[in-house]
Amino acid sequence: MFRVPLAKAISLGSPKRVANIAVRASASAASTPAKAPERIEVFVDDIPVQVLPGTTVLQAAAMVGVEIPRFCYHERLAVAGNCRMCLVEVEKSPKPVAACAMPVMKGWRIKTNSDLTKKAREGVMEFLLMNHPLDCPICDQGGECDLQDQAMAFGSDRSRFTDINFTGKRAVEDKDIGPLVKTIMTRCIHCTRCIRFASEIAGVDDLGTTGRGNDMQVGTYVEKLFLTELSGNVIDLCPVGALTNKPYSFVARPWEIRKIDSIDVMDAIGSNIIVSTRTGEVLRILPRENEEVNEEWLADKGRFACDGLKRQRLIAPMLRTPSGELQAVEWESTLIAVAKAVRKAPKGSVVAIAGSMADVEAMVATKDLLNRIGSEIVCTEQSLPTQGSGSDLRSNYLLNSSIQALEEADVVLLVGTNPRYEAPLLNTRLRKSYVHNELELALIGPKVDLSYKYQHLGDGAELINQISTGTHPFAQKLKNAKKPAIILGSEMLARPDGAGILATLQSFANKISKPEWNAFNVLHQNASQVGALDVGYRPGVETALKAQPKVVFLLGADAGIVTREKLPKDCFVVYIGHHGDAGATIADAVLPGAAYTEKQATYVNTEGRSQQTLCAVNPPGLAREDWKIIRALSEVVGEPLPYDTLDELRERVEDIAPHLVQHGKLETNSFATLAEQLAKDKKIDNSKITVRQQTLKDYFMTDPISRASPTMAKCIAAVKKQEAKAH
Amino acid sequence: MAGREAVRKTVQQVRPILSIDRDEARKRVLNLYKAWYRQIPYIVMDYDIPMSVEQCREKLREEFMKHSNVSDIRVIDMLVIKGQMELKESVEIWKQKGHIMRYWKETVEPKPTDFLSKFLNNQN
Amino acid sequence: MASLLRTISTGLRSALVNGAARTQIVRLSSTEAAKTEETKPTVRKHDVAVREQLSDFGRYVAECLPKYVQKVQLTAGDELEVLICPDGVVPVLQFLKDHHNSQFANLVDIAGMDVPSRQYRFEIIYNILSLRYNSRIRVKTYTDELTPVDSAFEVFKAANWYEREIWDMYGVFFANHPDLRRILTDYGFEGHPQRRDFPLSGYVELRYDDEKKRVVCEPLELAQEFRKFDLSAPWEQFPNFRNANPATEEVPTKKDEKK
Repeated sequence: MFRVPLAKAISLGSPKRVANIAVRASASAASTPAKAPERIEVFVDDIPVQVLPGTTVLQAAAMVGVEIPRFCYHERLAVAGNCRMCLVEVEKSPKPVAACAMPVMKGWRIKTNSDLTKKAREGVMEFLLMNHPLDCPICDQGGECDLQDQAMAFGSDRSRFTDINFTGKRAVEDKDIGPLVKTIMTRCIHCTRCIRFASEIAGVDDLGTTGRGNDMQVGTYVEKLFLTELSGNVIDLCPVGALTNKPYSFVARPWEIRKIDSIDVMDAIGSNIIVSTRTGEVLRILPRENEEVNEEWLADKGRFACDGLKRQRLIAPMLRTPSGELQAVEWESTLIAVAKAVRKAPKGSVVAIAGSMADVEAMVATKDLLNRIGSEIVCTEQSLPTQGSGSDLRSNYLLNSSIQALEEADVVLLVGTNPRYEAPLLNTRLRKSYVHNELELALIGPKVDLSYKYQHLGDGAELINQISTGTHPFAQKLKNAKKPAIILGSEMLARPDGAGILATLQSFANKISKPEWNAFNVLHQNASQVGALDVGYRPGVETALKAQPKVVFLLGADAGIVTREKLPKDCFVVYIGHHGDAGATIADAVLPGAAYTEKQATYVNTEGRSQQTLCAVNPPGLAREDWKIIRALSEVVGEPLPYDTLDELRERVEDIAPHLVQHGKLETNSFATLAEQLAKDKKIDNSKITVRQQTLKDYFMTDPISRASPTMAKCIAAVKKQEAKAH
Repeated sequence: MAGREAVRKTVQQVRPILSIDRDEARKRVLNLYKAWYRQIPYIVMDYDIPMSVEQCREKLREEFMKHSNVSDIRVIDMLVIKGQMELKESVEIWKQKGHIMRYWKETVEPKPTDFLSKFLNNQN
Repeated sequence: MASLLRTISTGLRSALVNGAARTQIVRLSSTEAAKTEETKPTVRKHDVAVREQLSDFGRYVAECLPKYVQKVQLTAGDELEVLICPDGVVPVLQFLKDHHNSQFANLVDIAGMDVPSRQYRFEIIYNILSLRYNSRIRVKTYTDELTPVDSAFEVFKAANWYEREIWDMYGVFFANHPDLRRILTDYGFEGHPQRRDFPLSGYVELRYDDEKKRVVCEPLELAQEFRKFDLSAPWEQFPNFRNANPATEEVPTKKDEKK
């Protein structure tokens, strides 16, 4: 991938990684030398450079800013060395060497632009193009194709291909590997990046090669779908147009689209994404590199659910008519109707419930509005125990170890969570650590496929007590570990005995925590949860329901936790959100809001990192940004909020929680021991632990956007079909 | 240092467009004003615009006063040249009725400034 | 054009006695020279002799008009550009038109260019053609919003409309122009559309008002999409392309040598 800066190859491709890969291949323990080894000097195009031993020629060249062309080499995958594009001349070497696989020797003089190198590249390129179809005009990769770019830069400018009758070009049958990835296997140049990704990162050995020489094919051996929660990444990895985005096929060219940096809100990881738009329409979503969050991967829900942004949208304000139907009306009348209900309601009987995709700004504005009209009850759909210190201490509800640092953990206990589907990109970290660092994992909860081996301790809640008292054998392992981690699924905290689980695990985690290493982690599923708790929302809807509310604001609360039956008969429900889902169906007034691609908004991920989305397209129809709706409503109610612009609102957010406006930064917190002292109730029921997302088909539809997405529906159908076939 | 810079700027030689000094520029402006002033009755008549001569003269004054704060001689000259051009276009009846009426901007509605109206109009 | 080569080597005097026979010889020799040179087939070939002639001619112009000519350069390999100060428009064009050995009697076009970051943001570019010597060169000068440039009308009658275009599109005032008024924009139009700070959608929009029964003009509220061009080609970081030929090459003149 040449479209990434040179720095990447340097930073990622440390010799340690190469060593690790070699070690894994031989399945022995990794042992990095204790003292820093001496650097050796090599010359790249006569520029001297000091490198660590074990550095490959390609990395050494990158250090002096010389990019060597390559197809099969990728910084995050094992070295394959099979495309031969990176051949360079080394002085006194009889043959050109493959730069990606060859470690440098002392005093080597590498010539990246000599005649021999050029000849080698042109030859390799000629062989590649000989069997590559000339269908660039109808190829979706056109314009962002490594083969195109490198053929322009390094290929020969003449063709010796005289087969005008088209008899000689190789043709390969296309494979059906699912509804997300389209294959045109004739275009494949056998770089095997997809195979290595599947087996190394995703942990499914579905892809592989069959045949050899001219008959070599990349495929799934038997007719099978390549379905994982990370399958979309092979599209980015493929240097040619063999694997392309199926929903995006024949939609747009890379030079016509506008790219806007944003944040994914489908899970609580907060993956950094690039939203590609054209003429006010989101066309596709690509991952953006962020070493601390998502590396350069993106889970399939975040990548492919974007077509749900065009369906089931609320595009006009609606009011429920006396006959019980929702009718589209003008903004004025809707705001007036809502304001009337709010003013009529007695003090303290107006509540707000934030859903899984509510942004920090809208939640702050809602809270301010409710406080102004004398109501205090604002809460989130997802609950968390409020006994003890509850949500007052951030360490109670954060992934304290941080996503990146979890790679360094050596023993991990997962409690009531399935990170593979709740946070696929956290799971890749765990897998990476499992593969390279001998990470030992255990799980309390239902037995699920995590793409790596782990010790299944069982699914009874009493195991938690056994661990914390040290009677369970795994507790000893956690105690002896250098960097142990306990990851608690957010669904555990919603249980009736959530407080007990939280307190028990927290006190145990404090016992095994090291200085600078907090072993206690909560893995959330909702992008909004941490932000909501940070600005002072109460977790759980119980208090809101208990207050017998007269007016309920649903800030995109679509999980179906709040239903009409649970609310008083005369309660006026106001839904502010972007999709016609569970929330809108029970609402008396619907105020259409903006989805995450349509607003500049702050989200806080599960490790407490505040990040912001940017406005890629305008909200459809009459929909408006959420905080603006609240602001406009406040004026009609007669309690205007003191901010008119996003900047003014952000100043207000800064007053509440300064870290929320420092986007991209991770705020550390260190009150873990205090939290334990405050926690009193440690009772745990002896019931079974279960999680919602257990298999792949549970993964695809979890929120209003993915529920509206036809692609996600196709995925579920494909998984079901696959399952039916297996029997 | 700053003083020297200022001096250098003030004495910087520039090529004049038309007028050598302020008086000349002023004379040109007044001449243009007078020319427009005299032509207005004919313009009103020729174009058959729904405005009286007085209204037009008021507008003429307004258009000139719009630039009352301009002090650079060259800018004044440039404005005079463009005003002269406009006058010629008007007098020669190259323009049409709509062009003349453009000075009044009758159909332009003022933009809302408060949050609620901006919200309802979907303005940022 | 070939005669120009001689002009430089032997000076003005011999240029006047230059004949067609000599031209012939130079032409023949130039084709021979091109044959032997190895060039990349995908790149347009430059005739070395033509380049030589052009730069010699440029040097000659600079020598004759040292007061006005500031720089002589070749762009795209074989296009001569003479960069002059704004005061020299009339004398330089007059010289190029009337000199026996150039006879650029045809003003093909006058172009404008706006680079807002420069002190003199506008460039005025005169494209002239010599039918006699089958040669085209470019004369460039510069100005800003308020500095008038002398009209080339007295040299080339063709300049009339071209200068009106530039006045209309860029707002450059041409002194001594016989009829400087708008040519492309509508009467009453404000602004100069080719300036880089003029938005693509303009400031106003016109529509027919049914009530008023005439075309009305209203301020336009159309946020112009900010287009971000990702112009860096992915292979630019490769050494082959990093040291590509410069677009323009300066032709050293006598003036430079003195320095």
